[in-house]
Amino acid sequence: MRYAPRSHHSNHLILERFNDAAKRGVYSLQDFFVLAGKSLGFIFVKPFYAADLFQQMDAIGVGSLGIVLLTGFFTGMVLALQSAVQLQTFGATDYIGRLIAGSMIRELGPVLAGLMVAGRVGSGIAAQLGSMRVTEQIDALNTLGTDPIKKLVTPRVLAALIMLPILTVINDFVGILGGSVIAKVYLGKPASLYWKTVFEQILSGGFTLHYIPNDFIQGLTKPFVFGGIISMVACYYGLKTSGGTEGVGVATTRTVVTASILILVVDYFLTQILLTVFQQ
Amino acid sequence: MSEEEDRRKQEGERRHPSEKDQTSMPRRARDSGRVRAAIRTELEEVAEDTAERRPGPAEKGAAPRQKVVTLEHIHLAFEEPILDDVSFHAREGDTIVVVGESGTGKSTILKLLLRLLVPDQGKVTIDGEDITHLNFDDALKVRQKMGMVFQGAALFDSMTVYENVAYPLREHTTLGEDEIEARVREKLQFVDLEPERVMEQMPAELSGGMKKRVGIARGLANNPEIMLYDEPTSRLDPLTTATITYLIIKLQRELGVTSVVVSHDIRSAFRMASKIALLANRRIGFFGTPEEMTGSDDPYIREFLGGF
Repeated sequence: MRYAPRSHHSNHLILERFNDAAKRGVYSLQDFFVLAGKSLGFIFVKPFYAADLFQQMDAIGVGSLGIVLLTGFFTGMVLALQSAVQLQTFGATDYIGRLIAGSMIRELGPVLAGLMVAGRVGSGIAAQLGSMRVTEQIDALNTLGTDPIKKLVTPRVLAALIMLPILTVINDFVGILGGSVIAKVYLGKPASLYWKTVFEQILSGGFTLHYIPNDFIQGLTKPFVFGGIISMVACYYGLKTSGGTEGVGVATTRTVVTASILILVVDYFLTQILLTVFQQ
Repeated sequence: MSEEEDRRKQEGERRHPSEKDQTSMPRRARDSGRVRAAIRTELEEVAEDTAERRPGPAEKGAAPRQKVVTLEHIHLAFEEPILDDVSFHAREGDTIVVVGESGTGKSTILKLLLRLLVPDQGKVTIDGEDITHLNFDDALKVRQKMGMVFQGAALFDSMTVYENVAYPLREHTTLGEDEIEARVREKLQFVDLEPERVMEQMPAELSGGMKKRVGIARGLANNPEIMLYDEPTSRLDPLTTATITYLIIKLQRELGVTSVVVSHDIRSAFRMASKIALLANRRIGFFGTPEEMTGSDDPYIREFLGGF
């Protein structure tokens, strides 16, 4: 193809380029799913790199605690402030707890935690694996008889799958707490009333298997999926890095952009599915 | 990294511990003189030894040693052809140096041997076993027979020197922690590093030459039969180049490992090689002993050797 005489018809060239780009796209999508599949499959195959898993859980979970606490608290407060203005016009300020709890648990908690972790952890993973790739450390692992996916990707994916739901629960809680501060200070609502309406909201969505509130199912399925998206996208771009230190920068940027967009898009479709399946 | 730090590291590497605290003379001048002298004698010894080691006419009658590594009619192309009908072999205890201009696919040969790449055509065998059609798990097993030293050492920078050298042992053996520590110390001493001083250091704290040595120690940890080196002397100063060259020869001589070295440093290639493979225009243009190479009339070889 490369050495074939150039066609004089420019549409051929455009078609050819389009064809090449499409092929590359399909190949990289295939690569991504192979990586994702392997990283999940290796969770159940010996040897287990437990030390790496705990290290990653610490880096992803404990390391992100600070930003998750901050964003959660302030989001809860600003949400309460904005809603208070709206609710006042209907005289429905008693329901502020319900509104905050519903939005935080179902939507804002998972999405904000996901976006924060994508920025903080996703970029870190991509940069680390990217540097390991360009300094031949990935080749070295292969040479020393270790599968890099098993040693590097699986612990990161598993750690993200475990830690993101936990971070989300913390995010939800401080968000609702932030809302209670505004309810008390701005609207003068007693904390008891606020928390009563919060629990009303949680119980109002119905239950699955008699005990699990549907809001929790929605709120915990999402971060689980987002954890997978962030870690897999980061590992994929990290391991695919080429072109020296500049390539590491490119991998980092792509990871944050792709993971953030995927989180928002997948969130929409996931919400549709979850609402259909679990809403009564 | 600051210049001061850099200087300190280089000194740390070369200074002998017994002379740590003698301060009557400027430390640097004294040390470098001493080291130069030491290396000169080492290299002279090596030159004599290699001359003895090379198979002379008397040895020719003896049974040929076993072929440990072979490449047979290898063809490989990515977007452009890279290797075209490449064949050579290494017998037990040989040091084969693959030389050639930059960008001729020298490192690709090492990747083929490690089965990080699979040739389009042809056969690669290690210890008589064809590795071209192995599955991933079997390929990992074959790789354990080989120790690889990367161009930039490729030490895992999240681990200490000790953990780096211990890595292949932890991964593939059931040795206890005591045995692992003993092995790590032994390998570090073999590459002339002091275990006490370097074991707890991180790779980022080491100089280029020290990293290379730790890389060699890690490659050796599993006692492999075959050692592979990718540009072992690139980006090193002449003095460190000499010590690394010496180490590769010492390994061949004391442990009898078979080595494949990829290099464009023709000077050190001549010192360590039992045979040289010259890669030119995607083919092996020459395969023979250094003596045969210097005696060749081929215009390309003459040009390649230049003033040597």
